[in-house]
Amino acid sequence: MDRRNFIATGAVSTAGMLFFPGNLLASEAKIINKQKLVQPLSYKMDGEWKEFELYIDIHIHEPAPGFKYHTLAFNDMIPGPEIRVNAGDKVRVKFVNKTDLNHTIHWHGVYVPWRMDGVPFVTQLPVMPKNEFIYEFIAEPEGTHFYHCHWGTLMHMQAGMFGSLIIEKPNDSIKQRFPYEREYTLVYSSHDTNYIRSEMNGMLERMKQRSYLMKEGRFDPEQFSVFDSKEQLLESIDNGYQPPYVTNRRSNSELPQANWFTVNGKSYPSTPYVFIKSGENIRIRLINAGAETHHLHLHGHDFWMVADDGVPIDNPWKRNTVPLTPGKTFDIIVEGKNRGIWTFHDHDTRKVTNNGLYPGGNLLALVYEDLPADELIISKHSGNPIYNSNAGMGNMKGMDAMGNMNKMMFGEDKLPKIALDE
Amino acid sequence: MKKIIYIVILFSGLANAQITPEFEIGTKGVFSGNLNINSDEPSAVSDFSDTQLLMGLRQKLYNNWRAQFVLGLQFPDANSKLGEVFYNNIFIRLEDQKNIVKLGRTLAKTNLNQFPTLRDDDAQQFTYALNPFSDGVNTEWDQYANVLEYAHIFKQRFFISMHGENFYNSLKPDDFRLNSIGLSLMYKVPSSQRWNRDVIQEIGLSYNNYFTDRIGYSSDFDASVKNLLFSTTLNLKPDPINFIDFRFQAIQNFGWNEVRALNDYFDYTRTESSTFFGTFRYLKQKLERPNYQISIGGGYKSLPNLEVDSSQLIFIANSFYRIGENFDIGLQYRYTENRGFTEGLFGKNEHRIQLALVYSFNKIFNKQFGDREDLLNLEHNYLR
Repeated sequence: MDRRNFIATGAVSTAGMLFFPGNLLASEAKIINKQKLVQPLSYKMDGEWKEFELYIDIHIHEPAPGFKYHTLAFNDMIPGPEIRVNAGDKVRVKFVNKTDLNHTIHWHGVYVPWRMDGVPFVTQLPVMPKNEFIYEFIAEPEGTHFYHCHWGTLMHMQAGMFGSLIIEKPNDSIKQRFPYEREYTLVYSSHDTNYIRSEMNGMLERMKQRSYLMKEGRFDPEQFSVFDSKEQLLESIDNGYQPPYVTNRRSNSELPQANWFTVNGKSYPSTPYVFIKSGENIRIRLINAGAETHHLHLHGHDFWMVADDGVPIDNPWKRNTVPLTPGKTFDIIVEGKNRGIWTFHDHDTRKVTNNGLYPGGNLLALVYEDLPADELIISKHSGNPIYNSNAGMGNMKGMDAMGNMNKMMFGEDKLPKIALDE
Repeated sequence: MKKIIYIVILFSGLANAQITPEFEIGTKGVFSGNLNINSDEPSAVSDFSDTQLLMGLRQKLYNNWRAQFVLGLQFPDANSKLGEVFYNNIFIRLEDQKNIVKLGRTLAKTNLNQFPTLRDDDAQQFTYALNPFSDGVNTEWDQYANVLEYAHIFKQRFFISMHGENFYNSLKPDDFRLNSIGLSLMYKVPSSQRWNRDVIQEIGLSYNNYFTDRIGYSSDFDASVKNLLFSTTLNLKPDPINFIDFRFQAIQNFGWNEVRALNDYFDYTRTESSTFFGTFRYLKQKLERPNYQISIGGGYKSLPNLEVDSSQLIFIANSFYRIGENFDIGLQYRYTENRGFTEGLFGKNEHRIQLALVYSFNKIFNKQFGDREDLLNLEHNYLR
């Protein structure tokens, strides 16, 4: 343990298991940060098949300290666990529905057999409450993909029913061109927690009635809004039936207005850190599982765009801002060329908010592990002579007397800090 | 000087306020043509009494509680002596998961059930414990009071409520002191789950003690008019499409022995009486929305302590058909009969036929937290 780590570790120990940004150069920081990254889903082998198990249940989620809400989650986590397989693997996913709602799983960007595509009433019937479904497919093509619920998608996806699906290839052309050891998966989403709550309540109430009627064998196309054909629908309309999108039934007059924006289910200040070292390449897999576009911008760097929707880009190009549209995945390579702590955030600043308050949302940081702790000290490196007497006008009379001003004004003589209301 | 400071503080608070509250609006518009036969009341071309508008502003407090300010107005009967508009709800409600505190004017605990009638007061003399301080010129003084109420909720379904009221006193209209206290116990299945309850939807008991000034009694308790209410709603056919329930309420008024004749409304509310009222209701739902409803009911009130055998009878039947979201067309027939002393007060009998258009609407805008009866709260303890 070198001196820098020793000092930082001491600080972490003093604070118990709490982790504050000021200690983010400590080795414990990386351990804690792992909880904010996507969690791998283990599998067992059944002959040639890799068998995974996903369940869905109602889950209490805390995107930022002090704010919790009820939502839907795969395996009690948002995002759901990461499925990581090799191209050509035979994949079997046992999906268990523990909720009182219908669900399916769609494998976004994957060449699954069409009956495994997870679209209710098109490729399968919904997975009913307390029921299960076995998905089987061969993992292809390579790249960054994701899975999500395809039932009541408007609500279920933003509620949290999504997770990353990574298909690796042994001779990965991206890795050959930009050798790297570490990679990160960042899954973006946006959530209207008020919409989720009211819509989930509505769905739960309707499902109770529908399940009751179905058990009694009283399925009715008009009651359930499920028709065998367009002709049957048109015939019903001719007989006076009004579809649910007309005024005679429930209607949410407002579409969701997202008030929380997350990366890996977390909003600032709970968002993960992306660690890097000088001279190192890291790969970041960006997935947008939400319904908003995120204009992601990395400070102090350009990055290489190396894959689009999982497809490797033959001639990568450099960018520092990328629009990650809904359903999109991009892979980027960041080269460790500018030591420091760099913000990586949505440049649509409406999405760097928590419940309407800036800062928040998907604000996160690229952190150089080899950054000397000394550089975090405000009074040594600030360009403001109020805090640092050696800054340009440091010989001004009276500046020494203000030496402790920073402590009075902003607490400890150290960066970074958590700011919740600017 | 104090007043100026107060205004400055208030203004400063307004300037800094940033939380937009939930805004709830509820309204009911009742427009009927009335044909009255053998009645003191004339027939009416367009009767819009009982039309009301309710507005509520609600937001979270700095703890787990929330608060709501409610303001409501109602158009009373033309001869009610309440003016064009009656402010029937002006109150503040504070609540958390298990407690509710209400302060202000609102419905008193003098009725434990909501019966399917066109207007809330169509069977008033049978469905409410009546205000012994009122001269009976209107029905609002029986329904509404200035209340201070605390309710505690056990296991989301058992409500115990302690309440004190200032009922309007026709003889002392400027007296705002406490003139009634009471206790009620209710078991209520949450509305989202009522359709599939096998039998009991609601059952409750309530006791009201009105501090009347009974001549010759020094003890407040002995001088009081006391009422005991029992109410229940039973699901006869729980079903999401064809739903039948039965509602029943009994009111025992332990009146004063010395009231042997009915000279006025005060006597009517202060003599002993036993009242029973019940309705059967069939509700047809279509596409998860109400389609039509038919109900039939009746009630009987006996006043056994009077010198002349006196009683009252009511029969009421109605049907409502939904013609569009929130709009219903309805037809109601009511027959009332009075015997003995009640005939002198209210007339011998009356037939009333009403054809009505009803608009009802309730919506919360800028919604920020869950409701007590939401499934997420009931099943997952979610009230945020």
